[in-house]
Amino acid sequence: MIRRWLQPVLLFALLLSAANFTAGATTEASGEHVKVHLITPGQFAEGQSTTVGFYFEVDPHWHVYWQNAGDSGAAPRFDIKAKGAHIGEIKWPFPARLPIEHLTNLGYEGNVAYLFDITPKAGAKAVTLDINLEWLICKINCIPGFGQISGQWPVAATTQWAEADQTLLDTFSARVPQAEASSPWQPSSLTTTNSANLTITGKGAAPEVFPLNGDWLSAERPRVTETNSGYTLHFATQPGVSAPETASFVIAQDNRAWQLDNVAIDSAPASTSKASHAALWLLLLAAFAGGVILNLMPCVFPVLSIKVFSLMQPGVSRAERIHEGLLYSAGVLTTFTLLGALLLALRAGGSAIGWGFQLQSAPVVLALAVLFWLMALSFSGVFEFGHRLMNLAGGSRGGAFATGVLAVFIAAPCTGPFMGAALGAAAVLPTVQALAIFIGLGAGLAAPFLLLSASPGLLKRLPAPGPWMDTLRQFFAFPLYATVIWLLWVLGKLVGDIGWVLGTSLLLALAFALWLARGAGRTRLLLAIAIALGAIAATGTTIMRAGAPAPQTGSELWQSYDKTAIADARAQGRPVFIDYTAAWCITCQVNKKLVLETDHTTDLFKRKNVLAIRADWTRFDPEITAALEALGRNSLPVYAWYPAGAQQAQLLPQLLQKRMITELFDSE
Amino acid sequence: MNVRNPIRPLLFAAALAVPSLSFAVATPGESAPAFSEVDAAGEMHSLTDYQGEWLVLEWFNKDCPYVRKHYGSGNMQALQKKYTDKGVNWLTVISSAEGKQGYLGPVEAKAEAKSHNLNASSAFVLDPDGNMGRDYGAKTTPHMFVINPEGEVVYAGAIDDNDSANPAVIPDSHNYLAAALDSAMAGEPVAEPATRAYGCSVKY
Repeated sequence: MIRRWLQPVLLFALLLSAANFTAGATTEASGEHVKVHLITPGQFAEGQSTTVGFYFEVDPHWHVYWQNAGDSGAAPRFDIKAKGAHIGEIKWPFPARLPIEHLTNLGYEGNVAYLFDITPKAGAKAVTLDINLEWLICKINCIPGFGQISGQWPVAATTQWAEADQTLLDTFSARVPQAEASSPWQPSSLTTTNSANLTITGKGAAPEVFPLNGDWLSAERPRVTETNSGYTLHFATQPGVSAPETASFVIAQDNRAWQLDNVAIDSAPASTSKASHAALWLLLLAAFAGGVILNLMPCVFPVLSIKVFSLMQPGVSRAERIHEGLLYSAGVLTTFTLLGALLLALRAGGSAIGWGFQLQSAPVVLALAVLFWLMALSFSGVFEFGHRLMNLAGGSRGGAFATGVLAVFIAAPCTGPFMGAALGAAAVLPTVQALAIFIGLGAGLAAPFLLLSASPGLLKRLPAPGPWMDTLRQFFAFPLYATVIWLLWVLGKLVGDIGWVLGTSLLLALAFALWLARGAGRTRLLLAIAIALGAIAATGTTIMRAGAPAPQTGSELWQSYDKTAIADARAQGRPVFIDYTAAWCITCQVNKKLVLETDHTTDLFKRKNVLAIRADWTRFDPEITAALEALGRNSLPVYAWYPAGAQQAQLLPQLLQKRMITELFDSE
Repeated sequence: MNVRNPIRPLLFAAALAVPSLSFAVATPGESAPAFSEVDAAGEMHSLTDYQGEWLVLEWFNKDCPYVRKHYGSGNMQALQKKYTDKGVNWLTVISSAEGKQGYLGPVEAKAEAKSHNLNASSAFVLDPDGNMGRDYGAKTTPHMFVINPEGEVVYAGAIDDNDSANPAVIPDSHNYLAAALDSAMAGEPVAEPATRAYGCSVKY
């Protein structure tokens, strides 16, 4: 319809231009594998800015480039000389990442239009353009192309477009980055470590982000980590290039794009900036303090007390004590460093794994139960632990080192609030700082013991050795028995009822073997060893083969973790409470009993139509691990509360109280 | 007191577990990666051969338009002549794999050197397995590196600041390589030690 109506007009315009102007219009250029058109309206409107474009039609699998071409290649060049009009800057539709062998280029596979604005000057009767073009088109090999485009267009009251042309340009206009203000993703920080780390806030899946500064930033796809409120994109930097003061980026998502202009680079955490040093020191201090607190954890304290006893033995010289202390510290630090390195290596490999993960493995839990059982029996005086069975936690030097190793493993699940925050930070920090936090935790855990062993003054303040020590040692057996019960319960959660039965049977067999070995005879000793080894082997293999128990429904209020259900509820404006828990997390069980599973909470949640989710992390679960990392945590407990209609989760303290649950609804 | 120290093997294990953070590619301010490659004339070139001397490395692909830009105009040969006359060693390296664009066997490479009027200090260095190119992080042809007598990289990047394929822009371009060599050889710091190399991708 419009076409038919346009035809005479266009014909008239053509005749007019042929009559009035001596234009030899060439709006096409071509080269190998590419044709270039300048797409314009038939005429321009007075004083009105019109977007026109160079349309590149490229052969299949060939590509042309964005303004930052990436590792190789080159952006097209447009040398535009205009008479009778002002010419705007080239507007580049957002690109795609094109892997070219080992390199990454930024460009367009398929046709593309590079756009610019033309605004006729006041009083101008015509717009004259004289354009020199240069482009590079590549598949793997590259071919440069050159072309000239020139022409004259009348200026009239209105613009006249061929509909198809207008539609074509609109398609690419939509892909030109819009202003930062309208972007759903806002920059919150840009730091430099061994990579450039751009943190953006917004919601939804991670967008594609392209750096404009190819001199500094590599074009390869950045590594993406999730934060509480968005993502951090870690761009590789070009070797040897020092960071500029600002950098600009284009963010693309769902076929739309926005430009973040001149994001200022924050003083780098690894640089000499004092403020960031302070932040790191604060984290290290928190880690150290958290480590010290770990000493008081009920599952660590008894183990440490064994060491203290051995130090107080008469005839232990100061040098030996210090030696012991240093060995113990070395054990703690080595274990923390190894665990930290393992966590970081797994993080680098894309695996998300949380602290406390040792206790997600049934064989590890069983081994710990056996170890604590033997220690408890030894404390009770059933046998001499330090001399007979193994030197673990006993008097020898190797024992001090082993005690250190053991202390870390036992302390890991007992995360105090300090550890939770520090480890969460460690999961998102650059490698070196993250490792420093692990070492800080280790140093904190080791410090009191080292201090005690190095300072005879402090040791002297401890009461003199005597018969009371035996009594105390026997007393300490009971927390160990309690720990065994807890570990067996965890085992039951991991592999079902069979865990209980097998675990307790193994402990019984071991106790029997110990009793058998007490007698003098060689045969009895050999028999005892055979029974012990047989029982361990049989139980171990069965446990390893045992599957997960059927998920427990628990109560009618609490549902198991279901991403879709959570998303649906939040979309409907229903409040959501998520209890990230695990059987091996004691704090979680305390909170559950004292707060979450009380009539008070149940009534309140039911009345307010809260979707209560129990995310059980007893066994490794990738979805729950990812959800925890999104909250910036990798240890338990975590309580996430999404008020009705809220975008972000509020995190509750690790130790819950009833009033905290009541306060969730106070703002209503 | 005869107790074995259990720390050392554990620390060793810890050191192994910490992922390596170093980059192998040639980076200004750091030691140049070692290389040992044979040239078209059958002569071996190693980084250690050039200890105590200035060395320029240039990546080459005869069919790359950007290489043609600098060879067709005589720009590259003039630079080679200017600096080899001053005692600088200049190696032109071909890292194209066999069967890919720009690959040359020793015989063709010798012929090509002649037709290109190559003024480098030796025949083309042939790196068909790409080891030297990858170690240096050579991304494009041309890609230029300058190594000082101490074996440190002082420049890595483009030949100049104009990534047009048109040789007509050469006279108005700022030549990064010449600027880096002039500063470094005069004992002054290089103003721009690293730039984005432009051109065709190296055809590994």
